Amino acid sequence: MKKKVCALLLSAAMMACGLTGCGGTDANVGSSAPATDSKASSEASSEAPATDPISNLIAATTGTVELTVWASEEDQDLTKNLIADFEAAYPDVDFNITLGAESESTCKDTVLVDVEAAADVYTFADDQINELVKAGALQSVSATYTYDVATSNVAGAVEAASVDGTLYAYPMTADNGYFMFYDKSIFTEDDVKSLEKMLEVAAANDKKVAMCVADGWYIYSFFKGAGFDMSLNADGSNSCNWNEAGGTDVAQGILDLFATGSFVNMTDEEMATAITEGTIAACVNGTWRAATAAEAWGENYAATKLPTYKVAGTDTQMSSFSGYKLIGVNPHSDNIGWSMLLAEHLTSEASQVARFEARGLGPANINAAASEAVQADPAIAALAEQAAYATPQRVGGNYWSPAQTLGQILSSGNPDGTELQELLDTAVTGIVAPVQ
Amino acid sequence: MAKTMKEQKSKKQGNYFKDFLQAVWKGDIWVKASLLIMGAGYFARKQIINGLLMLALQVAFIFMMAVYAVPNLSQFGTLGTVQFEQVFDPLTMTSTVNDYDNSFLILLNSIISLFFIFVFLVVYIHNIKNVYKLQVMKREGKHIPTFKEDVRSLFNERFHITLLSLPVVGVVLMNIIPILVLIAIAFTNYDQNHMPPNALFTWVGFSNFKSLFTNSVTVTFGYAFGKVLSWTLVWAVLATFTTFIGGILLAKLINSKLTVFPKMWRTLFIIAIAVPQFVTLLLVRNFFGDSGIVNTICANIGITDLLKNIGLVHPNLTYIPFLTSPGWAKVMIVLINIWVGVPYQMLISTGILMNIPQDQIESARIDGATPFQIFRHITMPYVLFIQGPSLITDFVKNINNFNVIYLLTQDVYVTTDQLLANSNAKEVDLLVTWLFRLTNEYYNYKIASVIGILVFIICAAFTLITFSRMMKGDREEVFQ
Repeated sequence: MKKKVCALLLSAAMMACGLTGCGGTDANVGSSAPATDSKASSEASSEAPATDPISNLIAATTGTVELTVWASEEDQDLTKNLIADFEAAYPDVDFNITLGAESESTCKDTVLVDVEAAADVYTFADDQINELVKAGALQSVSATYTYDVATSNVAGAVEAASVDGTLYAYPMTADNGYFMFYDKSIFTEDDVKSLEKMLEVAAANDKKVAMCVADGWYIYSFFKGAGFDMSLNADGSNSCNWNEAGGTDVAQGILDLFATGSFVNMTDEEMATAITEGTIAACVNGTWRAATAAEAWGENYAATKLPTYKVAGTDTQMSSFSGYKLIGVNPHSDNIGWSMLLAEHLTSEASQVARFEARGLGPANINAAASEAVQADPAIAALAEQAAYATPQRVGGNYWSPAQTLGQILSSGNPDGTELQELLDTAVTGIVAPVQ
Repeated sequence: MAKTMKEQKSKKQGNYFKDFLQAVWKGDIWVKASLLIMGAGYFARKQIINGLLMLALQVAFIFMMAVYAVPNLSQFGTLGTVQFEQVFDPLTMTSTVNDYDNSFLILLNSIISLFFIFVFLVVYIHNIKNVYKLQVMKREGKHIPTFKEDVRSLFNERFHITLLSLPVVGVVLMNIIPILVLIAIAFTNYDQNHMPPNALFTWVGFSNFKSLFTNSVTVTFGYAFGKVLSWTLVWAVLATFTTFIGGILLAKLINSKLTVFPKMWRTLFIIAIAVPQFVTLLLVRNFFGDSGIVNTICANIGITDLLKNIGLVHPNLTYIPFLTSPGWAKVMIVLINIWVGVPYQMLISTGILMNIPQDQIESARIDGATPFQIFRHITMPYVLFIQGPSLITDFVKNINNFNVIYLLTQDVYVTTDQLLANSNAKEVDLLVTWLFRLTNEYYNYKIASVIGILVFIICAAFTLITFSRMMKGDREEVFQ
């Protein structure tokens, strides 16, 4: 008897589970059905006005359009206003647009947990584009409707938003790279052209120059500047030639910089403190630190491109990763058409101007970037200057950890005295390791 | 009495299938019919509702098999073959998706299906035995309970079944199925290059385990695993031991008759618990940063130079690398953990120390034992005895002590061991923090599953060994 009741309970549980299981499949069928329906109906209606996709889409839309948008915490107010404008632009359509907060720098982590459950439209930093495309989390921008994405934005931004020549995202800002902040009262405009000169001046003033060398993102600038390459392969692994002839000169160059004692390795947070306390008079960082520097140095606040540094006696211009923030559309969205239109709206020239005005973020749009207000911003001007030496960030996951460790060893003066060639060889082995 | 029950039990287990076969063999036509139609046996004994329920169960099962289990299980071998494809029509602004396979859903659904099938088989076997039992009851002229009586018994003598059914369902859904999926993933190539729904993943056998333990030049997983495992064990022993001893000593100190305001001290330490751990840890991490407040103080009063002179700090450095060099960081982590963990241990020890039988201590004192001897031979064994099991749980908890390690070292600690770096590991990583970084930052789910399984085996082995040793013999009587 006991067993029977147990069995009954189990069977009940099982039936419940079975039902939910079926419910799941039903839901899938249900969600795909409207898509095909709308397609069918739009096909039907497209026979008459076949030339205008937007009116096609409006005609094909029945019921409420549910969209989810992810933007960074700081961007919430602005995005809310832009969404309101978007809704106002299509008065015939009933929208229900939900805005969620998701940092651009870690967006990938949230999206890739479950692509199908991610937002329809989301903002992310361009370094994540490869993994997002690979995971099928980005709808290619195969057609544009309200403005031409590819020609309206600066070439670097379009390149950063593309993978293998296909455009996958809408450039939103062009300010995610790094450059040199400095205190004008200490350095002249000539001083900041060479890192060695800067360190000399800093030492004379009992100040330091900071850069987060123990970080793959920044150490790249030394090697790339000296003409060494590190790039992403199709399978997600990297190609890297830092250990080829001359690579040790770069490593020695970095060691020499740290040997002066005026060049210090600091994380972003440490720099923030050090700028405020006045221990550093210049640092390599990005627009997100502009406010800190501007506040601490007041009218002496200045920014410029990265300086040169000496590789085997030759002055070598430091390179950098350019950085862009992009907006992507989730191909698993139920309302792909509306998602694309919304993404276009959020990255239009007017929206980029609004974003600069509200938040000081450098526009990727050519016209918006040409405005006087944008040109007058030292950080954004410095980025534009650095852009000539910058490359988009195309890096496989195996790069970061070995590069960080290499930077850590070099910035602490190679305490174990390992042969530089061996250091580079081991680092490159890790960087180019096959993706397992 | 106990012995006979045990015997009965083992006999019962041994005869599980024999009973079933016997029921089939000796059962009448209705029992045999139940093989095909599960409710048949009940209908014959006029348990109509039971019969209908069984029938419904069977129908539900067949339905489940047809629409859910079979489609998924048929792809279980390959985990799907049709790659995701999508075509966007710019004119209608809609996209068409092919009928693609999602490897993860196939895996998950297959495991759920297998689980259902297993449960069904168990129910099926019990069902046959049950209807046979009914047949026997009928033959012997016993009263066959009605459905109402069955239901009523669920609220009386068999109330435990009613109570337990919900937790059991919860455990199955929340624990067992995810664990089975995790184990299965360890045998697939599920990683950032094979991520559903866009890509398929498939079975790769033991190659993940192999790659974990092979030490080739490009793959340093084996090296990293060895390093991380040994530090994990050292950490678990040190962390458990230091907080345990620290807690007892602190409790003794506060309990001591010489301490003034014992309640105030105890409250202060409890306040330390009340502050969320991650707040404490992040603050402490900043205090001990390379340019943190502790370093500033040490540099000002000359401790940094002193440490440089005696060789504990590398002469190149201008600061003490509290959390940035392997040796220093390991010591600091253990010390900071004492600070975080001792108050808990103090609370527990206080309770135990208050309950030590005073007669033993008194007689020892009369016999001329020193306070240290009393502590060593009476207090410690007593505390150890009471706290044995909780020490083991502490040990296992420390093996998986994510908070302390991760919060203290993330974004601060950079390894200088290039071989470790090539495997995304650090000297201070525990298996669990390494696992977290692998899954969270590198999407290497397959290797993470392998490590997860190994962590489980390690924890289970330690727990089993120590528990069985501790519970061995009749130690219970020692302190009564």
